[in-house]
Amino acid sequence: MSAQLIRNLLLVILATLALSACSTTKKSNNLLQGDVYTGTETIEYLATGVPDRVFFATNKSVLTTAARDTLRKQAAWMRKNKDISVTLEGHADERGTREYNLALGERRANAAKDYLMTYGISGNRINVISYGKERPVNSGSTPLAWSQNRRAVTVKAN
Amino acid sequence: MIKKILFSLVLILLFKQQVFAITTIDITRGNLDPLPIAISPLYMSEGSENIKLDNSVNQKNVGEKISEIVEINLKRSGLFNPLNKSAFVQKPDIAHLKPRFEDWRLIKAQVLVTGKILIKEGKLRVEFRLWDVVAAKEILALAFTTVPNNWRRVAHIISDKIYMRLTGESGYFDTRIIYVSESGPKTQRIKKLAIMDQDGANTKYLTLGNELVLTPRFSPTAQLVTYLSYFRNLPRVYLLDIETGIQEVVGDFPGMTFAPRFSPDGKKIIMSFAQNGNSDIYTMDIETRVVEKLTDHPSIDTSPSYSPDGKYICFNSDRSGLQQIYIMRSDGSKVKRISFGKGLYGTPVWSPRGDLIAFTKVSKGRFYIGVMRTDGTGERLLTENFYQEAPSWAPNGRVLIFYRETKSDSEGKGFTAKLWSIDLTGYNEREISTKTDASDPSWSSLLSGN
Amino acid sequence: MMTKNLILSVLFHSFMIILTALSLPFMKRNPIELPPIVSVEFIQISDKTNIPFAPKARKTLEKIKKEEERVVSEQAPPSSKKKEKPDRIPLPEEKKEKQQIVKKKQNPEEVELQIKQSSEFEKEELFDPNQIAALIDKSKEKVAETTREDKKLTQSSVKNSFASGLTLTQEDALKAQIFGCWSIPLGLPYDENLLVRIKLKLRPDGTIAKAEIKDHARMNMPGNNFYKVLAESALRAVRLCQPLKVPPTGYEKWKEMDMNFDATEMLKG
Repeated sequence: MSAQLIRNLLLVILATLALSACSTTKKSNNLLQGDVYTGTETIEYLATGVPDRVFFATNKSVLTTAARDTLRKQAAWMRKNKDISVTLEGHADERGTREYNLALGERRANAAKDYLMTYGISGNRINVISYGKERPVNSGSTPLAWSQNRRAVTVKAN
Repeated sequence: MIKKILFSLVLILLFKQQVFAITTIDITRGNLDPLPIAISPLYMSEGSENIKLDNSVNQKNVGEKISEIVEINLKRSGLFNPLNKSAFVQKPDIAHLKPRFEDWRLIKAQVLVTGKILIKEGKLRVEFRLWDVVAAKEILALAFTTVPNNWRRVAHIISDKIYMRLTGESGYFDTRIIYVSESGPKTQRIKKLAIMDQDGANTKYLTLGNELVLTPRFSPTAQLVTYLSYFRNLPRVYLLDIETGIQEVVGDFPGMTFAPRFSPDGKKIIMSFAQNGNSDIYTMDIETRVVEKLTDHPSIDTSPSYSPDGKYICFNSDRSGLQQIYIMRSDGSKVKRISFGKGLYGTPVWSPRGDLIAFTKVSKGRFYIGVMRTDGTGERLLTENFYQEAPSWAPNGRVLIFYRETKSDSEGKGFTAKLWSIDLTGYNEREISTKTDASDPSWSSLLSGN
Repeated sequence: MMTKNLILSVLFHSFMIILTALSLPFMKRNPIELPPIVSVEFIQISDKTNIPFAPKARKTLEKIKKEEERVVSEQAPPSSKKKEKPDRIPLPEEKKEKQQIVKKKQNPEEVELQIKQSSEFEKEELFDPNQIAALIDKSKEKVAETTREDKKLTQSSVKNSFASGLTLTQEDALKAQIFGCWSIPLGLPYDENLLVRIKLKLRPDGTIAKAEIKDHARMNMPGNNFYKVLAESALRAVRLCQPLKVPPTGYEKWKEMDMNFDATEMLKG
């Protein structure tokens, strides 16, 4: 009986592994936490070590620990380069209604802007625009693609 | 005393009824097949001038073309079954004078359309008659005169008149649809405003595609369009006069204005204004430019839509934590949540009849178009898909148009955006063919009125 | 925070794994259950022909607009023009009914209202002046009757069971026959209670000597479009069904017959 149990246990573990291999692509292993993207694939850099974007959970505009970390780096970079102003672009994935997504993108961009401001960046240097679901970075219709599209991107404006 | 008299009266009445009762049969069932209708080609009167209307349309076949369009319109409505013309026995011109009803009954037609055309002095005159084949009588006859180039519209107006006579409800064929024409890769989609006839003909582009445009909506008279444009990277609500082509910004606030719609009297635009991460609902009087703030809540309030009497507004808010549908008075008071089902609700649109609100519902990763009563009861989901949203009502409140997107891979392959329509009953779901990919449809009112 | 979640996750997963393992013997053959495959919709893109590309949208639209105005002004034929049309074939019943109309005294304001509405209605359809006059009269009469008649309707089915001249089998046969002939107007509102009563006079062979809508005046009253549509469909149904499947005997019992047409149930379902 116990031998069978152990055999079954192994079987189930194997099955689970097989399942998880099915549901996500090779690349996405460990790239999602909750449903927030934690990888680096789509990220560009404003300067060495200063990632340009932060990612969000579905329907949320709360900054994750990683996002706050990124934004602090951006704030430091902006403090160093006082003549630079930026545009914060808020985006949503394709899984929402268009109008709500526009509002959601605006909320995400402002969440990032507010955080930058608490680190001493003047609001005058930050312009905000929402693209809703209009400008995805990944065209795919997968949870990974959607997680990469739920983002606020800091773009140099001058 | 009086009671006694009354009692005996009642008795007498009852007795009388029994004596004179004749057999009564209740018919509560019948067939639900579309009504068989024979549409005889409109014939060309003698003495008509030669004319060329289109590459393939001239005075010889314009009558056939018109009856073809009528046929397609009626068939697409799902309520009629136009019969195959090859079975028609009577010639169009003779049928128009006096149909031999026995012949038409033989091919199972219950109603018959006949008509004739005359082109004279550069004018197109179209006359048609609708016959009840079974009752052997004419039930409608009308004539139109117009410029020949208008032949398609004549076909649509005829369709509307037939629809109205046979369903008791005004039609929706002489209408246009404004939508966003899409092309290019998903990550850099090019979007233009486009307008077409309800049946997909006569597509015209209103913008060039240099900037992103979204969510166009007709004014009640279908003369103006309000929409969102990213002109100069400033997402703002614009107003476009499709007569003059003049565009102007109406929502130039220090932030993003979006989700515009007209009030039922056409005098105001209601829209969302987003600032500092908060979207609220505002109205702007087009004439006076007076702005009024209707909602004041730290949540997202968007997708507003007026009731047809202008007294109420339904909108989308996530003040409960997730997207739900709310209604309020048009002054912003008495906000009340009406959607309570499982899932998210968005894009509420009040029906032209006033009794229903159409919406998009997202539940377990699937998208639904549905309707509910204005108090939130009687929710009915009409169609389910991977992604679809933004319903817009046909002017008679019987049909909804919306757009649907398909799944794509990381290269964007497999992605399409198309317009679809569905009956309020949940039946008769059809794709509306457009020249390009399309989204955000808005249905105009009847161009010819009633 | 992270570690706590991790521990929780590991605990939960192992619990699930053990649970599954324990239940495995019951499904010996195939332990791997794949998630349901969500199908991808393939939408065919049909080629639309004959739509000329119009770069000068503005100009074209202006043109359309102008034409539109013309249609509007030139279409909608004036009523005077229509009245002249001789080729309308009136229903036989209509003629008789004109004579039967008994003028009832009404509130004069109401009468005026009816007249106005009727004349508006006239734009939609062809009527000769006499018929219009008849219509107005009927409308007047109608006002008082409509509500009353509706109430009476409900009684008929009750009455039916003991006063019918047909046996249940005979009645069912007749019903089944009519069901097959009746094309229910699909556009009718399913949430409105509409009922049409037809009075039939039959010949011994089951053909129809006369079929009339009991509430005929209502058909041409404004705001009764749906009623009219239903009534006409009902008339078509009985005519299409001729000869009706009537019993071979007892003509006296069924030579007159009422039929109540009610589509509500069908349209709801």
